[in-house]
Amino acid sequence: MTQEVVSVAKASALATGPSRKTPGQGRWLAGVFLAPAAVFLTAIVFYPLVYTLIRSLFNDGPSGQATSFAGLSNYAHIFTQSDAVEALKNNVIWVVIVPALVTILGMIFAVLTEKIRWASAFKVVLFMPMAISFLASGVTWTLIYADQPSRGLGNAVAIGIHDTFDPQTSYPELHPSGNTVLTGSGAAGYKSVATFAAGSPALLPLTGLNLVKPPKAAEPAVEPSSGAGLRGVLWNDFKLGGGGTPGVIDQGELGVPGLQVDAVKNGKTVATATTQANGTFTFPSLTSGGYTLSLPKADFSPAYGGIAWLGKNLITPAIIVAYLWIYAGFAMVLLAAGMSAIPRDALEAARMDGATEWQVFRRVTAPLLAPVLLVVFVTMVINVLKIFDIVFIIQQSAGGNAKYANVLAVQLYTDYGNQQFGAASAVGIVLVILVLPAMVFQVRNFRKESR
Amino acid sequence: MSLKMRNLAVTAIAATSLLSVAACGSSSSSGDSGSGSSPSGQSLKGVSFTILGQWTGGEQDAFQAVIDAFDKKTGAKGTYTPAAGGDEAGVLGTKVAGGTPPDIAVLSLPGAIAQYASANKIQPASAAVQSAVSANFATEWGTLASAGGKLYGVPVDASDKSTVWYNAKAFTNAGITPPATWDDLIKAGKTLSASGVQVPISVGGGDGWTLTDWFENVYLRTAGVDLYDKLTKHQIPWTDPSVATALTTLKQIWGDPELIGSPAAAVKVPFTSSVDNVFKKTPTSAIVYEASFVATTITSDKNPAKVGTDAKVFPFPSINGSAPVSEAAGDFAVAFTPNKAAQPFLAYLASPEAAKILVSTSGSGFLSVNKNLANSAYPDATSGDLAKQLVDVGNNFRFDMSDQAPAAFGGTPNKTEWGDLQTFLVNGNVAAAQQQLEKDAKSVKWN
Amino acid sequence: MTVANSDIVTGTINRGFAARVVARTSGGALRIFLIVVALLWLLPTFGLLIESLRDPSQYANGGWWYAIIHPAQLTFGNYSQLLQNHTMSSGFFNTVKITVPATLLVVLIGSAAGYAFAWMEFPGRDWIFLLVVGLLVIPIQIALIPVVKLYSAMGISGSIISVIMFHVGFGLPFAIFLLRNYFAGIPRDLMEAARMDGASEGRIFFRIILPLGMPAIASLGIFQFLWVWNDLLVALVFSNSASQPLTVALASQTRQFGSSIDILAPGAFLSLIVPLAVFLGFQRFFVQGVMAGSVK
Repeated sequence: MTQEVVSVAKASALATGPSRKTPGQGRWLAGVFLAPAAVFLTAIVFYPLVYTLIRSLFNDGPSGQATSFAGLSNYAHIFTQSDAVEALKNNVIWVVIVPALVTILGMIFAVLTEKIRWASAFKVVLFMPMAISFLASGVTWTLIYADQPSRGLGNAVAIGIHDTFDPQTSYPELHPSGNTVLTGSGAAGYKSVATFAAGSPALLPLTGLNLVKPPKAAEPAVEPSSGAGLRGVLWNDFKLGGGGTPGVIDQGELGVPGLQVDAVKNGKTVATATTQANGTFTFPSLTSGGYTLSLPKADFSPAYGGIAWLGKNLITPAIIVAYLWIYAGFAMVLLAAGMSAIPRDALEAARMDGATEWQVFRRVTAPLLAPVLLVVFVTMVINVLKIFDIVFIIQQSAGGNAKYANVLAVQLYTDYGNQQFGAASAVGIVLVILVLPAMVFQVRNFRKESR
Repeated sequence: MSLKMRNLAVTAIAATSLLSVAACGSSSSSGDSGSGSSPSGQSLKGVSFTILGQWTGGEQDAFQAVIDAFDKKTGAKGTYTPAAGGDEAGVLGTKVAGGTPPDIAVLSLPGAIAQYASANKIQPASAAVQSAVSANFATEWGTLASAGGKLYGVPVDASDKSTVWYNAKAFTNAGITPPATWDDLIKAGKTLSASGVQVPISVGGGDGWTLTDWFENVYLRTAGVDLYDKLTKHQIPWTDPSVATALTTLKQIWGDPELIGSPAAAVKVPFTSSVDNVFKKTPTSAIVYEASFVATTITSDKNPAKVGTDAKVFPFPSINGSAPVSEAAGDFAVAFTPNKAAQPFLAYLASPEAAKILVSTSGSGFLSVNKNLANSAYPDATSGDLAKQLVDVGNNFRFDMSDQAPAAFGGTPNKTEWGDLQTFLVNGNVAAAQQQLEKDAKSVKWN
Repeated sequence: MTVANSDIVTGTINRGFAARVVARTSGGALRIFLIVVALLWLLPTFGLLIESLRDPSQYANGGWWYAIIHPAQLTFGNYSQLLQNHTMSSGFFNTVKITVPATLLVVLIGSAAGYAFAWMEFPGRDWIFLLVVGLLVIPIQIALIPVVKLYSAMGISGSIISVIMFHVGFGLPFAIFLLRNYFAGIPRDLMEAARMDGASEGRIFFRIILPLGMPAIASLGIFQFLWVWNDLLVALVFSNSASQPLTVALASQTRQFGSSIDILAPGAFLSLIVPLAVFLGFQRFFVQGVMAGSVK
């Protein structure tokens, strides 16, 4: 085959002068070349388009049947309903950001892999996400974006890094039961309602300790022994099986070891103590006067929960990352195919002339690749306009935040599922209209090159 | 509204659809062919028929066992296809609209039966089916399966939506017993929190339908059945004071982080995780409210908690002295074609014999409201008790409200009713929630 | 003079040496960069692979990375459970029966039409092409109901052919768009010379367009193959229990009230094998394309 091509190519080099083809025969032949495509496109794609266009002008009955002529009210709906507006907004974000990113990434990978020996291996790796079904891709990304660090790699890493610099507190689960003795919150710390003085022991009850698996160091709580200084006990006012009296150290209730207790007077911390294994603490130096006891937040502040990847603000970027993961390989393969058609000697000649690689790319590769770049870019614009699967699937892990990732095709699918076929059809037609600029651009280019 | 019902809403409802009536207008309700003929004696040898449903896994196995038994009896050949996968929007709908419906489909939305009936897409029940339904089911179930006074469907399975599940061990650890009233439920939650359960009441707000079920049970108790029926049909607006009362009551639990943890986190927890959190090896929660099918979720775990000993149930508590009342949901089999085996199969489905196979096949998890089914058919006492309660209430139950609403309002993930309640869960703003709910309800066409 | 000479000599040597050092190090940096990218790209898939090899009872203990610390946990249990199901094998063959014709038809029909739009002249050519590009954006969901009606009128509901036809219809706009633009890039002199020589359109199509367009045709073929291979929505609507492909068989095994990772993850890898093999096989055509371009 190659031989044949070469001989034809040589023949072309010999031929001189411009020539136009013979027109009469052309029309008939064009018909033959186009007929099969015309049949399929008319039946499967064009006919539904017309059907949709007509349907979009009619109202929906309660069970989805077309009722009365609606004019453009189904279209007006898109621009007034909050879900649909969110979808429009997100579609704009997608179209502005994603096609350019995909094309650039694909270009970088296609150019760079030209020069390595294991290019095929690299291409297989980048191509692989395309070969995984969307259903499985969705699962793949929930294994990264899940909130719990035990399921999602993203938060396992985020929390790991966070805790290296700012370790988790020891008792985020502890809290006072009621607020008669201690008030406050985990995030701000707790302090006693009353003041305490030496001689009258401070009984500070907390609850919420995991009793199935209590801290190893914890021992049964005891009333502080009498002695010099301000004394008290911090204990978990609940025992396995329940049944104790609140505020009283019942048999089997555990002390909370290792907690910091501050004695405060006039807003100033005057002494600090740490609880023993049985929960007792002592301020030997405080022999007179009343002190407020405060438990600093450092021991209680809620654990760092990681990043809400699928929360209100990050959900669309998170899905875009997953989309890039899938489609960078697509762009790379198409662009590599385009590059393989660029004559080697053109590149070599440029290099011989002393051009740097960047110059070779800008002056030779890029212009020759322009038509393919355009195809990739326009294809991505269109693909992104009707983006559906990956949003639909990753969205399902986002629960109540899913609505912030809404896009037009998902909106269409929802309307369709709710048998609002008129509304769904209007969304479909809006998608077709949105692609018009890309088409006009394409056709202008088309005209230019045929001149 | 359950997930599977959502699937059905999507698949089934689209069916009534469209401008397509002309495509298959001929299949009007003529075919009463199965009437009279009893489903026995190889009378249907060689007749094959198709059934579309949404069951997979253990439920599919159980339903398949019923089909096999029917095939063996009659010589017919039934093929069941599950329309599963979450991506099947409009599968049944498109098939019906295109004039190629399955012979039988299983629907979970009573409203869909009326819609199909009015579009002449389904076949009225034969005399044999009618008598089987009236002999074996409380009249309310027959009414739900009827439209315009004509019976079309057969109840296949049912679920009790007024069950609260709890981890028995966690209750023992905290020294509490199942609460009977709303206030006791709150108190139990606080005690559980003190006993070291991080999130005493697990709310699966990631799936909005769990929130609609919460709301419906509270509304049924604070507003009563009459208002419930009116709100179901949107005959009173969502801005009605009775809705405010229910939402405010709900907020006593939903708005208390000591009970349900952070609402912002709860709104991301899917239904399955909300159940797992209560019954996994190291539970983080102790109570989860959802329907009787929670048992299926528990048993489909690889290391399941034992239903009846580890996982127990108490009825949804009474609020301000409300009388006992149940919310229920269920699936109905309906014939779409005059296939000769269709009506006999429906009649068989309505029999105690079929119900027995359905509930006793291992891994089934189904409950039946067939009143002539012996309780001993159930594989465990808890399921038996649940089924007994459902049968015993007779007609004194209300069908799931959101399952009866148009899917655009009561069955769309993260939107309309589901989405509005998710928003309410997070921000607790009663008035705003009511206004949004009413706005969304108004934008939907009610039957 | 000698000084100048030696200067020049050392200068060139120095420059050559420096250039080589730069090339060496930048080559190394490039290699490291690409390795990092490849690892990043592999990571999610790798996680899915490990997850597919874990017993579901382990999921609660931690993410897939825990299994790397305890490799003894890994098992083929999920795979064997999946393969026991007989609908999987018939689903696999149906997938092949759907995907191969749907890919070949799109490639053939698309190439013919792409050639006509690129190199033949007929009235309204640009506008018709514009329309075809416009068809690219039509969401599949919109077409389901009209096409089901069409199929039931034709009497082919539920058949494999009906699934294939739908994929061909929705594959063609992209195929024509891609191939026309690629074919249009083939040097004009080449085409005109062939026409001057009196080559027929058919001969040009088969002898010039197809061989020169092979890289684009191969990439189109791969993508069309993948899209059809992994399609769920179209198959759910148009196939029945006899003609259902692997994706539908898989989906019908997922649970409604539980996590389905232990089904989806091994399913993903079982259905990944064939497309990857096809991709590797098609690599050959890229190389051939390179040669066709470089031979003079």
